[in-house]
Amino acid sequence: MSDKLLKIEDLVVHYITDDGVVEAVNGVNIGVDRGKTLGLVGETGAGKTTTALSIMRLIPHPPGKIVSGSIELEGTDLLSLKESRLEKIRGDVVSMIFQDPMTALNPVITVGDQIAEAIMIHQKVGQSKAAQKAREMLEIVGIPGNRAGEYPHQFSGGMKQRVVIAIALSCNPKLLIADEPTTALDVTIQAQVLELMKNLKDKFQMGMVLITHDLGVVAEVCDDVAIMYAGRIVEQGTLEEVFNTVKHPYTEGLFNSIPNIDDRRDKLKPIRGLMSDPYNLPKGCSFYDRCDYAMPVCETQKPPKIHFGETHFVECHLYQEQQDFKLNGGKE
Amino acid sequence: MSEVILQVKNLKKYFDTPRGKLHAVDDINFSIEKGKTLGLVGESGCGKSTTGRVILRLLEATEGEVFYEGVNINELDYEGMRKLRKEMQIIFQDPFSSLDPRMTVSEIIEEPIKLNKIITDPKERFERVLELMDLVGLSRRLMNTYPHELDGGRRQRIGIARALALNTKFIVCDEPVSALDVSIQAQILNLLKELQRKLGLTYIFITHDLSVVNHFSDDIAVMYLGKLIEKAPAERLFTNPIHPYTKALLSAIPRPTLDKKVEKIILKGEITSPINPENNCRFSDRCNHAQDICRASEPPLEEVFPGHFVACHLFKE
Repeated sequence: MSDKLLKIEDLVVHYITDDGVVEAVNGVNIGVDRGKTLGLVGETGAGKTTTALSIMRLIPHPPGKIVSGSIELEGTDLLSLKESRLEKIRGDVVSMIFQDPMTALNPVITVGDQIAEAIMIHQKVGQSKAAQKAREMLEIVGIPGNRAGEYPHQFSGGMKQRVVIAIALSCNPKLLIADEPTTALDVTIQAQVLELMKNLKDKFQMGMVLITHDLGVVAEVCDDVAIMYAGRIVEQGTLEEVFNTVKHPYTEGLFNSIPNIDDRRDKLKPIRGLMSDPYNLPKGCSFYDRCDYAMPVCETQKPPKIHFGETHFVECHLYQEQQDFKLNGGKE
Repeated sequence: MSEVILQVKNLKKYFDTPRGKLHAVDDINFSIEKGKTLGLVGESGCGKSTTGRVILRLLEATEGEVFYEGVNINELDYEGMRKLRKEMQIIFQDPFSSLDPRMTVSEIIEEPIKLNKIITDPKERFERVLELMDLVGLSRRLMNTYPHELDGGRRQRIGIARALALNTKFIVCDEPVSALDVSIQAQILNLLKELQRKLGLTYIFITHDLSVVNHFSDDIAVMYLGKLIEKAPAERLFTNPIHPYTKALLSAIPRPTLDKKVEKIILKGEITSPINPENNCRFSDRCNHAQDICRASEPPLEEVFPGHFVACHLFKE
């Protein structure tokens, strides 16, 4: 039997606005195995969050529209489900953690009640049982259970994010979608929260989609990596494959843009230019105008998907003729 | 030889709150040489931004002195300060809220030149604006656009051009790249570095991101709860950190590599309250090595190696 928990195929999501159609996601294929973590990496506007929201069918509609594709969770097609069925899945089988813990919590309800709410909706338990479970969940994420009666403003940023994690995990979800869960936190607190998430993932045997722009976080938490650019996955593979044998020029550019803390180089090598306008994506490769390796064919034709082994692939013209093409590591 | 451009002596900034005095900056000392960069790092609430603002006198110091080229700026009157502000500038973190949304790019850059009557002839002034736009890598065709039409990286370039408009010598960069994507972040960092080389600028670079500061600074000062706890040349601080907090901070940075795994030091708890702090080591609640002496008295900042200062009772080398 396959261990696939989540399978997204050819997902296309557009936002239809007065100014035109924003092509946010343009044919994304990703899969998550049980107990594994997929890192979805990309910059602002790459379509990471839109992809994640589509899994929960939370794209604001209008203007958002899932144009085509399929999203299967344990073999069930989420896109064809009725709203009432979806509500049973959200928060129970699939949970989501958002970036900003300050706005994800209700300021006028105690944290204990907010955790208990999720439990009471999805499990047939009474109030006192749910309250007790809520206190247990707080303990699991490292907050004393007796603080269940306090309000969000009485907690610090890191603790609020722990509360959000407690809510997300309260019904033992099979899939957790974490959208930049530590971006708003300080590094020492980020280290605490990442440690916690790793432990809980093992404990609950969840699959996880971790959305982030930070390759350092990916290196620590993920099993597989998908690099997203202008609404497409441009490179995907296991953590080792993507980190040790970078194939796509964009992935290489991302690595070169990060100041390396253990190596004081004089100059960073940024990716020149800006991401293409999603209102008006180029005909060929979306990365064409920023790419140092661009060829004439890149401008006019969509790049093919080239596989290196079973799990590692890129979408790039460079490897079409010669599979063993080597990127030059950003050196002039 | 190298001359000190800015010196901070026993600087304190307390805020009054209903629950007592909030010690945002508590008795810190440092100096910066001309043409160098001092990285000021620490987590939210450690007082790094307040320090930057007190240095520029955007906030009045509670106690202590700031000397800029030998002049005690806390004693200057309004007119004197106005003159000095032409040389001391700031670049803010958020390029979205620090630019007037109703002014065009060229108006924003022109404004300080006009207000300070640096160039009175409108035509010449316009030439200067174009020159500044070239300097920071803003294409001239963007002259008449409004900030909302531009992305974060370009907006930050406007902020930089505005800071440079007055023959600036000293800039406080308060988290200038934190709001930007990594590929854009690298562009702006390279630009700031290049400008420093070209114009001989001196920077205080405030950030929470240690990998950025390592790349950028000559000296690094680490702050914790209003205190300066360690200061050293960048290279030395990264290879040979002494204070337990600096060590934990360095180990906590997620590294984008698979080969070198750094043993993580996970700190207990979170930053404690800066309101009416006790007379102890402020890090003692979270420190894995804390002993009685740490809870009993405050460690002074001592020079343990030429140029390397640490405030810790236990670790001195």
